[in-house]
Amino acid sequence: MAAQQKASSASQTPHLSPAELSYLYTSLSLPQNPIRPDGRSPTQFRPLTAEPDILPGTNGSARIGFADGTQAVVGVKAEVEKTVLSADTLDASNLSQQQGDFAAQEGRDGREGAGSAAVAGHGSWVQVSIEIPGFRDDDALPVFLSEMMRESLVGSVAGGNDSSDEMAGGLKGRLVINKRWHWRLYIDSQGEEDPFFDDDWAVAEHLYPRGTTNSTVKLSSSVPQVRPPITLLVISVGENTIFDPSREEIAVADAVLAISVARDGGDKNLKLLSIRTIDPPSRLTQPAVPNSENVNALGATAPTEDVAVLNPATGEEEVPGVWRPRRGGVKRSVIAQMVKTVLKKGGVGEEVLEGLEGVEVE
Amino acid sequence: MAITILPPVVDDLGHRPPYHAESDDSMSVDSDEDIDMTGTGSRPHKRPRLGGKIGTGVVTPGEVVTDDPQWMRGHGTYINPLSTSIIATVAGTVHKTNKLLSVHPLRARYTPEIGDLVVGRIVEVQSRRWKVDVAAPLLAQLPLSAINLPGGILRRRTSADELQIRSFFSEGDLVVAEVQSVHQDGSASLHTRSLKYGKLRNGVFLAVAGTGGSGASSSNVKGGVGSGSSGAGANPGGAGGVVRSRRQVWTADTANGGGEVDIILGVNGYIWISKHTDGAAAASSTTENVSITRMEEMVSSSIYSSQNDEIAPQTRREIARLAQCIQVLVQGGVRVEEGTVMGAYEASLQVDLEVGDDGEDEEDRQEGREYLEGSKARRILELEVQQR
Amino acid sequence: MSILNVFNSPTTFALATCVMADRRRINGPPGGTRPAIYATSLPSIKDADRARRQRQPSELRKIFLKTGLIPSASGSSYLEFEPSASLAAARANPKSLIPPSSALKLACTVHGPKPLPRSVAFSPNIVLTTHVKYAPFAARKRKGHIRDASERDLGVHLETALRGAIIAERWPKSGLDITITIIEAEDDRWWGDAPDSHDASWGMMNVLAGCINAASAAIADAHIDCLDLVSGGVAALVTDNDGGAPQLMLDTDPAEHRSIVSACVVGYMPARDEITALWLKGGTSKAALDEQDGRSGHEALVDGAVDAARGAHMVLGEAVKESMERALGQTT
Repeated sequence: MAAQQKASSASQTPHLSPAELSYLYTSLSLPQNPIRPDGRSPTQFRPLTAEPDILPGTNGSARIGFADGTQAVVGVKAEVEKTVLSADTLDASNLSQQQGDFAAQEGRDGREGAGSAAVAGHGSWVQVSIEIPGFRDDDALPVFLSEMMRESLVGSVAGGNDSSDEMAGGLKGRLVINKRWHWRLYIDSQGEEDPFFDDDWAVAEHLYPRGTTNSTVKLSSSVPQVRPPITLLVISVGENTIFDPSREEIAVADAVLAISVARDGGDKNLKLLSIRTIDPPSRLTQPAVPNSENVNALGATAPTEDVAVLNPATGEEEVPGVWRPRRGGVKRSVIAQMVKTVLKKGGVGEEVLEGLEGVEVE
Repeated sequence: MAITILPPVVDDLGHRPPYHAESDDSMSVDSDEDIDMTGTGSRPHKRPRLGGKIGTGVVTPGEVVTDDPQWMRGHGTYINPLSTSIIATVAGTVHKTNKLLSVHPLRARYTPEIGDLVVGRIVEVQSRRWKVDVAAPLLAQLPLSAINLPGGILRRRTSADELQIRSFFSEGDLVVAEVQSVHQDGSASLHTRSLKYGKLRNGVFLAVAGTGGSGASSSNVKGGVGSGSSGAGANPGGAGGVVRSRRQVWTADTANGGGEVDIILGVNGYIWISKHTDGAAAASSTTENVSITRMEEMVSSSIYSSQNDEIAPQTRREIARLAQCIQVLVQGGVRVEEGTVMGAYEASLQVDLEVGDDGEDEEDRQEGREYLEGSKARRILELEVQQR
Repeated sequence: MSILNVFNSPTTFALATCVMADRRRINGPPGGTRPAIYATSLPSIKDADRARRQRQPSELRKIFLKTGLIPSASGSSYLEFEPSASLAAARANPKSLIPPSSALKLACTVHGPKPLPRSVAFSPNIVLTTHVKYAPFAARKRKGHIRDASERDLGVHLETALRGAIIAERWPKSGLDITITIIEAEDDRWWGDAPDSHDASWGMMNVLAGCINAASAAIADAHIDCLDLVSGGVAALVTDNDGGAPQLMLDTDPAEHRSIVSACVVGYMPARDEITALWLKGGTSKAALDEQDGRSGHEALVDGAVDAARGAHMVLGEAVKESMERALGQTT
């Protein structure tokens, strides 16, 4: 039973026939300009509509829709919560604080204000939940997605601490009210319609920054606005790097990466926040049978000269036109290439952030 | 520009009456004998309209369509016992055929009918048959006895065939087949006993809505297209889709060095666009002009192969363009058939030539809304500007 | 139901766990408990007491890895990291009741390949299921019996890492269950630091690397066809001095560092020089690299993690070889 659930969620892709997979893979891995099934360029995103602040009952909300009708709605709620020193925080800093021996740490951490253990915020104050129709809320995918989002959100703080002047820019730092109270942020995302997970995925990933933008603006209007991070889904097929992949494109990917980036403080540079590999569904696909080995084609066909060709991207020998499930991992150079396409000046990450900044929060 | 984020568009549900036939010329493509009861009045009726009993063209579930006992109830209706009123069970348009009243929902599921050409995907392999997804409520079945076995179509199936059933079709494979019979519960039984049918390769698959019939509803929607479906292409509720028509399979001669491309429109809304192959040429010429011995070879060589031929990038590009044309048609709520598909294809080529200034008629503008040079977004925006 | 209401405070992962609270047990308070520590027993926590890294930046901890310890499983392994020097010192000469750091200990079992249940659809490949669970006592804060979000997250990462290495089509229609119990987890920070100082769960990354190594050994022990022994490695950019640029360190124990800027864990196959899983967290732009080094921060970080994985791979190979030799010795 567990195996079934897992299999269904990890490989929630359409069952494509080997012939389709092979066609798609070859089209997408054509050198120079791959042919995507919907005619987009490798770095082109599907157009989407974004609408912030749609739910008056929330502290921040947004709706995102794709041309194909996929929708997602995000609501952000903030609640005031008493800062509880849980057993976990009952540690030396509290104890030493009681004994007035706190100066060393205080100075070290560069904190200001009272010496509450939670003055810089806590990652668990941000809760992200993602609901995708057709998935149980304890399935691997929603859990993975929400962890990924929370991570880049909270992760932006770890970097924020580091870049001295931007300490206030971190989200969780701004959740602190005073040493006894803090905000708790709930970010709930509802995918709607189309159970194609990657669509919801992409939706959610765009939505997420919107939602948090709203919330951060609401929470701390005095702080100069810092843009929330974004997460991009990037796949590599052959030697091509492809953005915003569709369901079918993911199904043939050699590697799938989720890359989170954010603006690095005030300057225009992009800062990498996190990278996660995602299990490419192409590993679970059905292999094709080459004509030379097909029992149903024996005898009648003229023996075709199927010469196995080395696929430079995977290092495997393949007969052209015959689909093989992907095996093994991805080369470091490929990952570096994918990250570079996102991060470089004028790269995709910048364009997406600019696009999102175009949607102004009133 | 990698990403386009559009401002939210106010949904045009308010001023778009998708169920009213506003343009009468669109009815000319309607081959059905159905009389549309939407009755905007301008169209001459073959028969005098029912009395004031059937007032509206669109009914909702529970609404009494008529209480006149002369009518027989058809699909989408029911009759309370001890009463003569015919009550709608689905939301849709009222249709009548002679004395039969039926309600056609705007967005119907595919219901198989004998003789339908369908494209299906194998979802389950059982010991003597396959279960096939044909977008119907129930999975269709394809018995092992209903396929051409290698080594001659007239051969009986053996236990060896049963054991290697996955070597014919396996999970995920796409097949084109014909509905041989429909069972009591509405599930279909398929067969591939013709050289036209079999496993699909060398192309791309796409699924659109296949209502299976009811040409009237799809033509009705067309009137609404011009009035306001330009909203970022977000018109998924359109009733366009594949309808039963004379030719479901044809070969198109594509531009830009794409060569010949086969298009299979499954009545169920599943579509296959592939490179035209010689083997298929002999097979798809609908007449059985191949000798039995030759046929045998054909069966063996290509029908159960899962290896793609070599396909030139130009062909791939044109296949992708055709697929987009169909998507555009569906999003615009236009029915998908040979004429519209090829029309959209021609239009996309034309727009390709004269980028920017497309001042043609409505049809062309809609159909030209296509990814050109990979920039669908710009297109949509342009069209939107033009329409204002 | 009333029991659930009482004990499920909103501080737990509300949506994830409330829905599926453990009904079979009477749960303890969710905040976790720990024995009372009297302030007087801790005269002062000085920064000088913090654990410090005593290894070279590129020096890895020793790994104890043994396979085939659980006879009922088709493959199993046990992995343990060498305790840090400060932990060893504290054990020899206890000054405090609180251990200065912890060392990873985990056990992995592999069940399968076994036939999939009838209800599961046909699969041409082996169906991999990974299950990572902290023992309730594994971390300083008690974990519940139900897997929380971080544990499921680890399971997904592990699955990604392993699936790339297993030759799945050799075992059609079969299932493979991999269960990992973490007996002792790595700390996310030095225990004396406030939980916010770097509260990202850096310890999880070490745990993941350990999981990959243990699972890889257990899979080899279960005789499942693999492309290579996939091994896990961790590298991090850490700042130990104020104002210093982050340094690249391999196999970091988070308890030994003041601040971790970013960290990266990889699942790596040396034979093919390929990465099956990558998880990188934190900004990498400020890494202190050599002038000539043309790599950007994240590339250096990934390379560091790969180097760590190479080191672990040697241990893996030895451990698997050793168990084979042991088995051969028994049969002859």
